[in-house]
Amino acid sequence: MNGAFGMAEKLTITNNIRKLRFFADEMTQLALAEKAGISRQTVISLESGKYTPSLELAFRIANAFAVPIGDVFECKDGP
Amino acid sequence: MTYKSQRTVVSMAAGVLSFAAYVAYALGKNAREPESGLASWAVLMLIFIGVAVVAQIAVQIVFHLARSIGIAVREGGDDKQVERIIKAAMVEDEMEKLIGLKSAHIGYICAGTGFVAALAVLALGASGVSALHVLLGSFAAGSMIEGGVSVRLYERGVRNG
Repeated sequence: MNGAFGMAEKLTITNNIRKLRFFADEMTQLALAEKAGISRQTVISLESGKYTPSLELAFRIANAFAVPIGDVFECKDGP
Repeated sequence: MTYKSQRTVVSMAAGVLSFAAYVAYALGKNAREPESGLASWAVLMLIFIGVAVVAQIAVQIVFHLARSIGIAVREGGDDKQVERIIKAAMVEDEMEKLIGLKSAHIGYICAGTGFVAALAVLALGASGVSALHVLLGSFAAGSMIEGGVSVRLYERGVRNG
């Protein structure tokens, strides 16, 4: 329930990082990690949906691909 | 298993071995000198804490050396690529900080529970030495649980919020 006193439901956030890496000349996870200033482990976790990044990291990843943030991350429960 | 999980498991293994060595020595000491006072046990604990810290450092050095050699062999001696892989694995980013916070929180709960248990042991009339051991045991258990939670979060994932 998403009432005034209830806990907000968690949103399902997905990403297109694997697809974007493919279209970026098969950019490696290592190269993306270096560009975004994160560890390769985090890239793996992001791609497999095991980690939802902060807004800042989401922007850094989008910047690494030179695309808008909406092209990288999508909210399944959104409008 | 990823680098950070491996590092944590290695650290936990060193911790378990150090604590097991302490328990074995403490049981022998208790049999030899059953009337030992708090000061004597405190000195022994301080010595073992020092030994455990040195063992942790030595084990981590060996682990990183072995890992670097493994990567170098796999990459065919390309020094730049080896350096890149090692650097990318060692970056401390927001996911690592989040996992550190979540696992430390659980570790603190365990250590705090141990403190309360040690007070309860004293209140029930047990010796100060028993309370000290409950405290040490809870810190050791807290550290192990913290490591276990870290590995679980690295492998299963973690959410912001």
